[in-house]
Amino acid sequence: MAAIEESGGGHGKGDGKVRAKKMSTRVDMTPMVDLGFLLITFFMLATTMSKPTSMTLAVPDKTDEEDQEKTEPLKASKVLTLFMGANDEVYYLDGVAADDDKAEASLKTTRYGFDLRSVIFASAKRINAANPKDEKGNEPFVVVIKPTAVSTYKNMVDVLDEMAITKSKRYALVETLTDAEKKLLGDKVEVKN
Amino acid sequence: MGKVRPKKHAPHTDMTAMTDVAFLLLTFFIMTATFKSNDAEITTPSSISQIKVPDDDIMIISIDKAGKVFFGVDAKPVRAAMLENIGQAKGITFTDTEKAKFALQSSFGFPLNQLKPWLNMPKEQMPQVKQPGIPVDSTGASELADWVYAARKANNQLRIALKGDNLSKFPVFKDVLANLQSQNINKFNLITGSEQAPAGYTND
Repeated sequence: MAAIEESGGGHGKGDGKVRAKKMSTRVDMTPMVDLGFLLITFFMLATTMSKPTSMTLAVPDKTDEEDQEKTEPLKASKVLTLFMGANDEVYYLDGVAADDDKAEASLKTTRYGFDLRSVIFASAKRINAANPKDEKGNEPFVVVIKPTAVSTYKNMVDVLDEMAITKSKRYALVETLTDAEKKLLGDKVEVKN
Repeated sequence: MGKVRPKKHAPHTDMTAMTDVAFLLLTFFIMTATFKSNDAEITTPSSISQIKVPDDDIMIISIDKAGKVFFGVDAKPVRAAMLENIGQAKGITFTDTEKAKFALQSSFGFPLNQLKPWLNMPKEQMPQVKQPGIPVDSTGASELADWVYAARKANNQLRIALKGDNLSKFPVFKDVLANLQSQNINKFNLITGSEQAPAGYTND
């Protein structure tokens, strides 16, 4: 530590006066604190505190189709199909196949967030009550998510997030629309230039 | 009285302890500081997921709002090795200066044929160039796939993260997915911001 001479006082030697006790030499730390806090402020501002989180997405293997065990097609009555449209809208078919006569009438629209959550919960409740669990003990309820060309990446993350919130374990991300679905949705999923 | 009194001092606080505190905090912030990189501006959607994005051994494929695709790897040595790998595969030789410059870029978005001119620019000009994005198509065999392959060849421990902008359209994501799936990569992380889970949600 460096020592600073106490300035002032001006007691020359041999004043003959009674001298005050010699002060111990102390370093004034105040500027050091200033400096410290200045640097802290800088680093606090430069730091990005909120680290991004990540959600895991696993997609089924595409490369070797022969190896895939043959699964029986899903019964439409156990499926909630979500079509992700433009402008943050979701069209959904609850337990109805797209090539069904009733499809036109039962295609409904909802929004992301609370509304969609309610739809999923209601559908899950209804389907799980109406159908028994399968032999592996899985809930019968399945969600099929169909992003369309007009939906955004955010929409997809939102829906996947909704799956996590509603704890729908069985969901599938399907990128292709069938002809029946194309006909049903019509120009709702056409890219507008 | 004949006594000479010492001058009254203002009460003097000892600042040493304060310095200690300041420097302790300072050390902490220096250690945890991560500086903003010159990446493309991307606003990620948020999710309730609690998993943190790993810092090391990660490659990040970014999609900006115009649907341009960028690619970045975390470690500098891996970046240089990756460039060499792709050069070998495509028959392009990169000089050591180019490699060194490339290793400094946290992410890039150039087709292969435009990469060399960009790396030969003066350092100051490089950030100002508008990057066209890496070509991606739905066949699963575009340049992005080559980059991913080259990066994994350089470091086979790499995890894959996708960082998409809120407004990027789904078809772009689909093409990126096709490129990854063509190489048997079926599990990756989507980087999101964090948000509060709705009331009544329990994590189990």
